[in-house]
Amino acid sequence: MVRTIFKWTLIVVVVLVVVGFGAFLYAVPPFFITSPEDLAQPVNDAAPPVAGISDPAERALAGRGRYLVVTSDCMGCHQLPTSQGPDLQRFLAGGMLFNTHEGTYVARNLTPDAETGLARRTDDDVKRVLQSGVFPDGHIASYRLMPWGSYTNWTEEDRHAVVVYLRHLKPVRHQIADVKPPASFTDPAAIEEVFAGKDYANSR
Amino acid sequence: MEVIRYRYVCAGAAFIIAAAAAALAVSHQKVQAQQSQGRTVYEKHCVECHGENGKGDGPAAYFLTPRPRDLTTGNYKIRSTETGSVPTDEDLIRSVRQGLYGTAMPAWDRVLSDAEIHDVVDHVKTMSPQFATAPKVVNVAAGTPSSPESVARGQQVYERLQCGKCHGSDGRGTGAVTTDFQDDWKQPMPAADLTEPWTFRGGATSRDIYLRLRTGMSGTPMPSFADAAIDTDMWDLANYVVSLGRKPVWSMTADEIKQLYARQDDEAKRDPIKHGKYVTDTHMCSICHSPVDERGRMLPGMYMAGGQLVRLPPWGDYPTANLTSDKETGIGNAADDELRQAITRGTMHGGSRMLPFPMGWGAFQALTADDLNAMIAYLRTIPPVRNKVPAPARTWLPAYLWGKFKMLILQKDPPILIYPGNIGSTGGR
Repeated sequence: MVRTIFKWTLIVVVVLVVVGFGAFLYAVPPFFITSPEDLAQPVNDAAPPVAGISDPAERALAGRGRYLVVTSDCMGCHQLPTSQGPDLQRFLAGGMLFNTHEGTYVARNLTPDAETGLARRTDDDVKRVLQSGVFPDGHIASYRLMPWGSYTNWTEEDRHAVVVYLRHLKPVRHQIADVKPPASFTDPAAIEEVFAGKDYANSR
Repeated sequence: MEVIRYRYVCAGAAFIIAAAAAALAVSHQKVQAQQSQGRTVYEKHCVECHGENGKGDGPAAYFLTPRPRDLTTGNYKIRSTETGSVPTDEDLIRSVRQGLYGTAMPAWDRVLSDAEIHDVVDHVKTMSPQFATAPKVVNVAAGTPSSPESVARGQQVYERLQCGKCHGSDGRGTGAVTTDFQDDWKQPMPAADLTEPWTFRGGATSRDIYLRLRTGMSGTPMPSFADAAIDTDMWDLANYVVSLGRKPVWSMTADEIKQLYARQDDEAKRDPIKHGKYVTDTHMCSICHSPVDERGRMLPGMYMAGGQLVRLPPWGDYPTANLTSDKETGIGNAADDELRQAITRGTMHGGSRMLPFPMGWGAFQALTADDLNAMIAYLRTIPPVRNKVPAPARTWLPAYLWGKFKMLILQKDPPILIYPGNIGSTGGR
């Protein structure tokens, strides 16, 4: 009798643990049980506000630039990824990995850090990437990778506003590895692969 | 003595012939080397837009307005040569070095060396048989320096030549018949906004503008006015056009910037479709919502027709939606609010939800109501393409749980996979 109770209790506990673990896996991370607003708002709000910029003309431009940077989803690729999601404290510090058949790219650090970020680039350099995907070393990123095929349609004035805003981000020291030769694909039929689960700044 | 002299003459002649032959051989080699060097530069830097054969059909070409030049026709907008003539080397070098303002053609002078620019220009010239003829260079007379009188005369010329029919009475489209033109390849080609001189393709000095008036811009609706106006008229007109230029934002005060933005908001409200095209073109929609081949070139006639497969392990397959105005397979029958929910909250038809990537609906949540409505207004004008895209396919539950286990417990980062081709009903290829 005691043995039977013990046996059934054990079975119930094992079944509950298995089902519970399955349910846990099913629901985490909670993309489908969190409202879209709660999911997106923190990411959008992580863009530093422009109110602290002292020069009024620059503040007005950076305001427009902030709007364009956020709505154009620069965060979609340039956020620093961790296994817990994007690192919102280090806004646009780069680190996602992109495999293409032309090469392996890591999203660049867009913060104005002197050694690892955009402070090394002139406004013209940054605008040239946004306008035509041409990097300072002369290589061209596919329009699909860095979507300059879209940002090229910005007016020169909007492009300028974006660069002004990027110059006012919080500098983050985050060294990004250079472009590497193409790596093997998980599925060679794919045109590109995006790895967004951890920081790839220096791997591969 | 005679014989000796004759021998010297013979030897001298032979030497000269040999030297000439050697020089010819060297120069021929040099030309070939230059061409192959030019080809190397071209293949590294130009193919993404102008295509391998210079037809202006590189992978990125389909996303650009104006489209990249078809280099095989020998037709160039920015020339200092007569209508119908090829441009000079200096014209081409200038366009490569400085870029074409207001287009995706960048200034290459910081990226390429002078020698590389010369080489690539030589290579580009081999792409069109037109370059067998010599360029007919326009003899630019001394111009009229700008003065209030010259500008006033230029304004009269502007009216007499009916420039306002395309550029508007104010230089920015007011009262124009239309400002949406097409070039000779039936690609969109808006009339230049004459108040924004930093977008003038070939530069904004009086001389640059005089040359555009004098030579026309081949392949575009902008004709040459050489027959309709005398030289001094065109110089006055050029001075007038220069006088129309406004300050760019990078030279404005805060108040001027705010006024400009207020004006732009106002104009956006008055012409939501035009503004919606700007919002749509700058928010990456067409990059995923148009199916492409394995080299990233848009499948012909499939602009915004959806069907690009995006695989998100372990969640499943999420093909991109058909955003054309087709009633059955596109958004023709979707209510505005349904589209708003999809764009800003990732809620699909039927109420199920998208993942927060790769469609940036979280970012689009920050769009102003005006921008969002304009985007929807523009999407409704996209010509219908019948392409039934299958609904997203969620992964089989055990496979999904195993995928999640690998991802969360084993810390294996599965990639998002993006596939070429169209998985919709039209096939498109």
